[in-house]
Amino acid sequence: MTSNENVLEIKNISVCFDGFYALTDIRTNVKRNTIHFYIGPNGAGKTTLLDIICAKTKPTSGNIMYYPKDKEAKRLTGMKEYKIVREGIGRKFQVPSVFVNLTVLDNMILSIKGHKGIIDSIFKKPSKKDLEDIDKVLKKVGLIDKKDECAGSLAHGQKQWLEIGMQLVQKPEIIMLDEPAAGMGKPETFRTGEISKEIKKECTVIVIEHDMDFVKQAADIVTVLHEGKILMEGDINDVLADKTVQAVYLGRGGEG
Amino acid sequence: MNKLLKKQGSNICFGVIVLILAVMPLLYLRGVMNGSTISFLGKCIAFAVAAMGIDMIWGYTGILSLGHGLYFALGGYAMAMYLKLQSTGGKITDFMHTGGFTELPLVWKPFLNLPLSLLLIMLVPGVVAGLIGYFIFKSRVKGVYFFIISQVLTWAAYSIFIALSPYTNGNVGITEIKSIFGSIKGSSNIGNMLLLFYVALLIMILIYALCRFLVNRKFGKLLIAIRDGENRTYFSGYRVSNYKTFVYVLSAVIAAIAGAIFVNFNGSITPSQMTISYSITMVIWVAIGGRGTIIGAVIGAFLINLSEYNLSSGAMVEIWQYIIGAVFCITILFFKGGIVGFVKDQLPAFIASRKRKKNKGEEVPTKA
Amino acid sequence: MEQFVSTLFNGLSLSSIILLTSLGLSITFGLMRVINMAHGEFVMIGAYMTYVTQQIFTSILPEGASDIYYIISIPVAFVTGFILGSLLEKFVISRLYGREIDSLLATWGISLILQQAARSIFGTQGVNVTAPAFLQGGITIGGCTFSFNRIFIIFLVLFCLLIVWVIMYKSNFGKQMRAVMQNRPMAQCMGINSRRVDNITFALGSGLAGIAGCSVALLGSIDSTVGQSYIANSFMAVVLMAVVLGGVGKLAGAVLGSTIIGSASIFTENYTSSTIAKAIVLLIVIIFLQKRPQGLFVIKSRSLDE
Repeated sequence: MTSNENVLEIKNISVCFDGFYALTDIRTNVKRNTIHFYIGPNGAGKTTLLDIICAKTKPTSGNIMYYPKDKEAKRLTGMKEYKIVREGIGRKFQVPSVFVNLTVLDNMILSIKGHKGIIDSIFKKPSKKDLEDIDKVLKKVGLIDKKDECAGSLAHGQKQWLEIGMQLVQKPEIIMLDEPAAGMGKPETFRTGEISKEIKKECTVIVIEHDMDFVKQAADIVTVLHEGKILMEGDINDVLADKTVQAVYLGRGGEG
Repeated sequence: MNKLLKKQGSNICFGVIVLILAVMPLLYLRGVMNGSTISFLGKCIAFAVAAMGIDMIWGYTGILSLGHGLYFALGGYAMAMYLKLQSTGGKITDFMHTGGFTELPLVWKPFLNLPLSLLLIMLVPGVVAGLIGYFIFKSRVKGVYFFIISQVLTWAAYSIFIALSPYTNGNVGITEIKSIFGSIKGSSNIGNMLLLFYVALLIMILIYALCRFLVNRKFGKLLIAIRDGENRTYFSGYRVSNYKTFVYVLSAVIAAIAGAIFVNFNGSITPSQMTISYSITMVIWVAIGGRGTIIGAVIGAFLINLSEYNLSSGAMVEIWQYIIGAVFCITILFFKGGIVGFVKDQLPAFIASRKRKKNKGEEVPTKA
Repeated sequence: MEQFVSTLFNGLSLSSIILLTSLGLSITFGLMRVINMAHGEFVMIGAYMTYVTQQIFTSILPEGASDIYYIISIPVAFVTGFILGSLLEKFVISRLYGREIDSLLATWGISLILQQAARSIFGTQGVNVTAPAFLQGGITIGGCTFSFNRIFIIFLVLFCLLIVWVIMYKSNFGKQMRAVMQNRPMAQCMGINSRRVDNITFALGSGLAGIAGCSVALLGSIDSTVGQSYIANSFMAVVLMAVVLGGVGKLAGAVLGSTIIGSASIFTENYTSSTIAKAIVLLIVIIFLQKRPQGLFVIKSRSLDE
């Protein structure tokens, strides 16, 4: 048991791809029930960081500790990706990856927490409560009308929301969003920001984003990465005021 | 009515096929049809069963395996070994004599016993597929790589089977066997033939029901999910490699059952059923019938084998290879969903677009 | 010792034929992720082309001069393979872009048609070519006989390898090809016509299979399934390449993979049962795979399953 207010502690993570350090000695903590943004110019190592958290990439050194609510602390490094998902860490990828040949509802059903074994998938039907939860989440992401449509026929933004919904229905402790607003217009982006704030009540949100309006709208804490190192971490206003940050990132016309 | 057709279309279609098949032996009794046709239909039933297994692994899960000829043959050999021992009365066979054995080799001994033989028909291919599947899928080999590896495996198994000729009779295979219910040849054995035929039909119905049950459950959706986005499925918390191994074993066992049915009707089994080209032939049935729909596999298996049966005699034998090659190619190129996909998706879309064209009187691009 | 040397020699010549076929397979696979199931049929076509050339030459040229048929048949086989390969790519493979498994099945359909065509034209009986006089016989060194035709095959393959190497690593086209292999969208942005690169590469691979057919014709009788018997070994070589060396489409990988498979099959045929040995090779491959938990390819980071 732990009363730690951090839900994730990233300790001295380094990643090396054939001699190139994508991340060097990253130390950062994610607090419970916050929206934590990781920003930085292209190649700063943001996506790699998420890859390491969800075990898509193995770190060269360092480890990650995870403190689920009311449970033992766990070491994430070395776990298989499907286990990490079952521990309550979900991820939405940058390019929307939903199951295009299944309906929105089926997409959600596949994502429900629990029943991931073969026997369960054959003999267990989703409970009434599960279906209610799905409806609730679909309302939240605004896809309740599209429930029986094929996911492949959704618009780009709707696919992004569906993928967020698929993460939510797993009742994760942490949800990681890789550029959720990529390819979205202003109103859709705003909506995504509002959805993230809504999510925050139940879990912790880690976001990678370029859109500064979106960052301003939703961020609690911002960490700026640059060339695989942490440049600074803090409040959005502090970050925007920082000279080095402006120099490497914002100063290059990165306002949009 | 339309809705019912959409929802129950494949079940209705399957029902019709079963009915037609069920009537066939009656025609035989009336003398309209000869015995060899009935036993050919029996083989078609076996092929349809195998095709359903292929459809589960390829059509639904998107894994193209060329190992299913092997599993078909393993089931067939297991059955044939039992039947051979029945016909020799448990004594050793000629080819074992030639191979230098004086008593029954140990691997043949379990096949003296019927329940054990039936169990082994499913168990041997299941275990082989389980081992192969476990190791290959665990290392996330997929797509073309899995295809090549399964092809090489099949080919290696084929060579081994031929090399072990004291046990397997090499290239000749196990021949001159009667069916499980006794001889099915000639008019005096009509009873045996009918019994065998209806049992085979029943097995086909059961396998169909099993496959339909599985694909309509969350399990089936998950297979499609794995096909369309394997990594996404991992990141939804599923242990994809276990699912793949499971489906692989399932389809291998189904293929083995099909092989066992086939042997009963065919009266012999040879290693040619084990070859890569035989495995692809089974994939061709599914592709033309319609992948990703259980009924498509059944339709494809019957349609192609019946056409081949009727066309590949006499002068047509040359043309048949051209036809099957070309039809297969065209199906893959233009009709991804095969016959069923065409009837279910492409045709309605075409009609709808034609209607719209007529109504509006303008060009509507057709999406084929 | 003598037996060992002659086994090594036979292994080397078989390896070189396997190399020619797997070279074509692997460069098209590296470029387009497509396995051409009709590749073996291109070997068969090359072999039949040799036969046809011989028939034509012996009928029009006097006895002594007709031997040059074999020299002519090599470019003939190459060009036939090249043209047919180009057509196959244009009309079948290019329509299935992004559907690797489907394109592989479609080429199987083509292979059925080609095999039947061979049976229709040349009959089901195998035909034989007579090796030209300068390739008959051999030299004996210290009790080992090295037959000229096998020596010739080895040198022919070395020559082809050299040409391929020059094309891939020294020519402008090779640069384009490697660019498309490494990063297709980027190459397209640089103004490379990737469709044309695909087409020519595929045709080149098929042409090489045609030349392999010429070599096959020297070693035994030709029938409609002659390609199939060689292609299984080539697939094995490709698997080995993919697994052990981690990269299909690399020249060095093709050489090593084919040499291992070719030598293994000849050696084991002489010393143990060849099939068991192949099973062992396969087992090694599967064990090797366990060492690569990430699979053969690491997935790209920003998107899944693309």
